[in-house]
Amino acid sequence: MSADNDSPDLEALFDSVAASVHSVASPPASAPAAAPSAVSPETGDNNDLQALFDSVVAEVRHGAEPASAGSVAGEGGDWPAQENVFNRIGQMARQLHTTLHDLGYDNILKNTVSALPDAKDRLAYIATLTEQAACRVLNATDVAQPAMEALEGAAKSLGARWDKVFANQMTTDEFRNLAEETRAYLNGGLPGKTSIVNAQLMEIMMAQDFQDLTGQVIKKVVALAQDLENGLMSALLEVVPQNKRSEVPSLMNGPVVNTEGRSDVVVNQQQVDDLLDSLGF
Amino acid sequence: MRILVVDDFSTMRRIVRNLLKELGFTNIDEAEDGAIALQKLNTETFEFVITDWNMPNMDGLTLLQTVRSTPTLKHLPVLMITAEAKKENIIAAAQAGASGYIVKPFTAATLSEKLNKIFEKMAAA
Repeated sequence: MSADNDSPDLEALFDSVAASVHSVASPPASAPAAAPSAVSPETGDNNDLQALFDSVVAEVRHGAEPASAGSVAGEGGDWPAQENVFNRIGQMARQLHTTLHDLGYDNILKNTVSALPDAKDRLAYIATLTEQAACRVLNATDVAQPAMEALEGAAKSLGARWDKVFANQMTTDEFRNLAEETRAYLNGGLPGKTSIVNAQLMEIMMAQDFQDLTGQVIKKVVALAQDLENGLMSALLEVVPQNKRSEVPSLMNGPVVNTEGRSDVVVNQQQVDDLLDSLGF
Repeated sequence: MRILVVDDFSTMRRIVRNLLKELGFTNIDEAEDGAIALQKLNTETFEFVITDWNMPNMDGLTLLQTVRSTPTLKHLPVLMITAEAKKENIIAAAQAGASGYIVKPFTAATLSEKLNKIFEKMAAA
């Protein structure tokens, strides 16, 4: 079942989110165990989220009892603060649960997770088609370029000899040869090469047929990605505190897809050059 | 002049190779990531390196930094051709000692201009 291919990654992501939440909450409980299974496609989110919520609530109640608070009893004054944390986590889990449910995100997430392996295949299909097209075009130019170079060379050489004719620097025999060679070039050499180049131009045109196929597939994958992004964003906005929402800095982001309204990126080579100049490089 | 073209996509290596051929450079070898490039640079002789940034195993910036910190290679001109368009990328590359920085997509004219600029600097040095 291909659905299994993706879930470990997603589970790892959710695990890490769950782990960071629990590291704040500190006491290891049965709650973390419930978190990874929350994304398993076949069980659905509701039950697991409910279980997580319940266990957190239970932990809060349990923890509130003096007996189990032994480890922190030495600093009894800290306890209300910890209880606060538990309460907040419980509230967040509850909120997340109801938000996802109310907005239908639980279903969207479930559907999206099950659609991911399909998306992976589709993206692989796009990669294959575009690579094939690029190779076809490069092969075509490899064939056409020597033909064009031969044409250019022959035309230049004939042209230079015709210049001699007009400069009265050619004997009658030489002129006869030139006329015959020119005729042969116009009748044979030239159309022979242009037909080769034309065939390659046609090949380049036909290599663009991937656009139609990949375009359709890309639209589907983009729709899927948007569903997933919306669902995950809503989920994360519920649980990630405001001060933890900064972007992770990285120097390997690939092409900037949308430069509008961004001042941290360049949009052309001129801006690269200007930036380097301004810095004295 | 022997040039090493480093990019993880074979089509991009082929395009750069074709553009270089057009500019009169025919002695070209290719590497598909920074690690392979470094291996080639250490065992063969090259006069110029053109590298992508984002590659598996070893990225272009690490390759550049390694080249600059290797006594036998540190004077080698390294031109970066990359899709990374953030200002901090360009600054990081310049600080690491890149000889030039070209953002993708790029034109044959841009490549030619940057190569000439680097050659001029090399001749002046």
